[in-house]
Amino acid sequence: MRDLFRFLWRSRSTLLFIGLMVLSFLWLANGNDHHRAQTFTSSQAAIGTLYGWRDQVVRYTDLDGENEILAAAQAEMMNRMRSSYLNSSAPFVVVNDTLLQQQYKYISTRVLNSTTSKQKNFLTLDKGGKAGLAAGMGVIAANGIVGVVRECSPRFSTVTSVLNSSWNISVLNPRTEHFGLLNWDTADPTTARVKDIPKHARIVVGDTIVTGGDDRVFPKGVPVGVVESVVNDDGAVALDIIVRLSHDMTRIGHVWVVTDLLKLERDTLEAKLDAE
Amino acid sequence: MITVLSNVIRFVVLIALQVLLLDHMDLANGWVVPYLYVLFIMMLPFELPTWSVLLLGFATGATMDFFSSTPGMHAGACTVMAFARTGVLRLLEPRDGYEFGVAPTVQTMGLVWVLTYSALLVPIHHLWLFFTEVFRFDRFPETFGRALLSALLTITLIMLVQLITGRQERKRA
Repeated sequence: MRDLFRFLWRSRSTLLFIGLMVLSFLWLANGNDHHRAQTFTSSQAAIGTLYGWRDQVVRYTDLDGENEILAAAQAEMMNRMRSSYLNSSAPFVVVNDTLLQQQYKYISTRVLNSTTSKQKNFLTLDKGGKAGLAAGMGVIAANGIVGVVRECSPRFSTVTSVLNSSWNISVLNPRTEHFGLLNWDTADPTTARVKDIPKHARIVVGDTIVTGGDDRVFPKGVPVGVVESVVNDDGAVALDIIVRLSHDMTRIGHVWVVTDLLKLERDTLEAKLDAE
Repeated sequence: MITVLSNVIRFVVLIALQVLLLDHMDLANGWVVPYLYVLFIMMLPFELPTWSVLLLGFATGATMDFFSSTPGMHAGACTVMAFARTGVLRLLEPRDGYEFGVAPTVQTMGLVWVLTYSALLVPIHHLWLFFTEVFRFDRFPETFGRALLSALLTITLIMLVQLITGRQERKRA
């Protein structure tokens, strides 16, 4: 008996090794057992906390990707917004038992390049014809209008920026219901000029200017800017209004391209009128 | 006391480095994974008896298993490695034996000795780990290649760590 104990004591390392190996194999064999995984809940909580700290550090390295996802999600939400739908519930018009028909569709894109320092500024987007973009579509950012799609290749698009002196867009002061024409001739990337608003219109500093929507580039009511100064010159035929653009064109990342789904129908109808 | 403390710190740092950084490296689509944490077992003091090295090895592997939610794979591989450590140390023993109270580092044992030491121990751990991970032998060449390439990377990292920490110790001295 003493010899046996002496033998066991002498080979204690080997025996411990065998014991630990058996233990690890039992662990491995029961590895997929859900209940055993629950045994370590307290340590799992500690481990989860540690990984949470890690994520708090690491998440900043993928802000680009996260932003991409959020922008796509917002485009999805804008597609469902009530203002994207045309009310077709007028008397005698019932189309497939739906009350609303979508009129505007938003496509999330990323600005690859943009200039603000030239007389005629353009932007480049990372989506093109393949994603459904086409010339003439409006481009908006989170705070307001950005420009209009100028040309599309299959994968990229160029956009005429709102900071382009050769481009005009119809704008509206929703408070007084006066339409005007926005043109960028201020040479300042934060402001633009609104023309053609008659002199009797009571435009005041601080009025919000939005898109008019009658040129079929943007939906009606997209923010454009806030009136910064109004000059009523005796010799002029219209007010001279300077607006501060609501979107900072020097800081532009994600933008949405607006598609008017009913544009083709309306254009075709109006082309017939022109032919007469 | 200082030896115990420095080993505890080494354990925490190596495990943290492993689970927070090295496990997320995704080198070559996750084909190559360096397991630097085995350095803890390798750097335990020489005079530590085999049974305590075995227990510490198992505990180290089990900690890794908790973090990577693997069932006993690291524990098994580390136990094998801890067991092999005794034999490897006997094999590499200098003529006049190991000094008491000394850890296996480049400073105490020299560059070639540490390189041989890790070249013998790290592949044992990695082969065991990678084969229990796939748990089949029909993809033998692939698993073998993964284990050996990862071992090569781990040994490189071990040598780097040894050189970096060694320089600091020399500065302090």
